[in-house]
This record gives sequence, structure tokens and C-alpha cells, in this order.
Amino acid sequence: MLLQNEIADALSNNEWAFPLAECVHIGGFAVGVGSIALVDFRMLNLGLRHETAARILRYTELWTVIGLVFVVFSGAALFLSQPNVYLVNQVFPYKMYVLLAALLYNFTVHRKVATMENPPPVLSKSMAIVSLLLWVSIVFGGIFTGFLE
Amino acid sequence: MNIAHSIQSIDFLTAFSESVLAYPIVLSIHLTCIALFGGMILVTDLRLLGITFKGLTITEVVTSFRPWKRVGGTIMIAMGLPLAASEAEKYAPNPFFWTKMVVLGLIGVHALIFRPIVYNQTEELDRSPVIPTKAKVAAILSLGLWTTMFVMGRLIAYWD
Repeated sequence: MLLQNEIADALSNNEWAFPLAECVHIGGFAVGVGSIALVDFRMLNLGLRHETAARILRYTELWTVIGLVFVVFSGAALFLSQPNVYLVNQVFPYKMYVLLAALLYNFTVHRKVATMENPPPVLSKSMAIVSLLLWVSIVFGGIFTGFLE
Repeated sequence: MNIAHSIQSIDFLTAFSESVLAYPIVLSIHLTCIALFGGMILVTDLRLLGITFKGLTITEVVTSFRPWKRVGGTIMIAMGLPLAASEAEKYAPNPFFWTKMVVLGLIGVHALIFRPIVYNQTEELDRSPVIPTKAKVAAILSLGLWTTMFVMGRLIAYWD
């Protein structure tokens, strides 16, 4: 509660704190999800074809985690700055459910298939499409949280 | 001001900004492009700096992302146009918007300067034992320009 009040004060008393937290949130998303998308694009045979998806995953995984950590922390700060607004929002809870699903999916099933030696193309393609859909719907969820109350 | 008013009064654009769904959907697509194609720009720049993806040649990174960056850039601009035009009167006096447009122009200049000497010379860069300074300069400028671009984009909403 104390933490919540401090964050709320900091973000609402400083004119620039909220938009800057938003920039970190979106920037972190670009890094985290952008790096996941590279793996997905490879699984869909759309880019970096000289490398296996497994190697691309290995190169990008650190960036994914760093990006997502920034997203989650800046997101938590944004949420705590006005929890009452988000808690009654009709879109926000769905964004959180999809986020949870996307995180679980990414670090379990998706990772497993991306690192498989020779996954059946249908399997890795559908994995990649589901992954992209999950992450893209979170972007939509974020924007709609702001537009619908 | 008058021009801005005329632009946003075009029927299609008025309908667009007043629509409950169209405006946020287009904005979401605009942002999705940041994630999908911003990631590619970042990887290209980090590879040019020699920070990551060292297992891939610069040529591979640059050539396999190039078509996707073009697609992404086109979608981004196509979505950005109605977003700005439908609220032309709000955007016209907004310094963040104009800074963003200047940065967009500078990104074009960056391409004109560095495409012939860096992005179209990737095989030469790959043969070189150390990554040449010109490639690192191109990467750092690119990172700076794109970061400014996206921060300005977010701040547009906060000027009044």
C-alpha cells in the first residue's frame, strides 16, 4: 500500500513521469516482443533462413527477457499510479489474461517447438502464428484499455 | 490552421476520428509495427555494432530483414497518415509531432548517406576483421533516431 501510494504520487505529481513510463513500456515491448517475432518469422520461413529457429532463439532470448522485464515493471508502475482506473476498465483484465497466456506459452510450448531438431513444418508454423496473435492482441488490449473505459 | 481544419474535415477523416473502433484499431496496427519491425532494426544495429547475433553475417541480417522492414515501414506510414490527418488541428501546433516528422526526414537522410557505404556493402563489412567505424556510426545514429522517433510519437498525446 505504501509502495502503491509512493508510485502513484511520483507518477501523478511529475508531469513527465507517466509518459516516460509509457515510453519504457512500449520500448521494452518492442525489444521483448520484437525478439520473439524474429523467432516466429523464422519458424514461418520468412527470414534468417540460414539459421535454425533454435539458434535464433538462443541469440534473442536474453533480449526477450530484458525487454519483458522492462515491460512488466513499467506496466506495474503505470497500473499502480491509477489502479482504480484499470480495475474497472472493461478491457484491461482481458489484456492481463492474454499476457499471462502469452508468457506461459512463450516460455513453455513455444520454446520447446522452437528448439526442436526437426519439428514438422505445420507444427512450427502454427506455433509461430499463435505466438504472433497472442502478442499482437496484447498491443490491441493496451490501446483499447486507453480508448474504452 | 485553416489547412489543418480543411484536412480533418474531409468526410472520411472526420468519420475515422469519430469512430469508436477504427481509430484505436489503426493505432494498434501502427504500434504493432513498432514491435515487429522495430525488433529488426534493433537487431540490425546491434549486429553492426558487433554486440549480438555474431553467428550471423551482417549480409544475412541486412538482406533477410530488408523486405520486411519495407513492408513494415509502408504499413506504419499508411496507418500514421490517417491518425495524424484526422486530428490535423491538434497536430499542426504540436511540437512533438513536428519533431517526429523532422526525425523521420533525418531517417531518410541517414538512409541516403549510409545505404551506399554501409547497408549495400555488407560483404565488404563481413570480410573486414574488425567492424569498420562507418558501420558503427550508422548503427548508433539509427538507434538514436528511431528511439527519438518513438518517444516523440508517445509524447504527441501529452502536449496541449
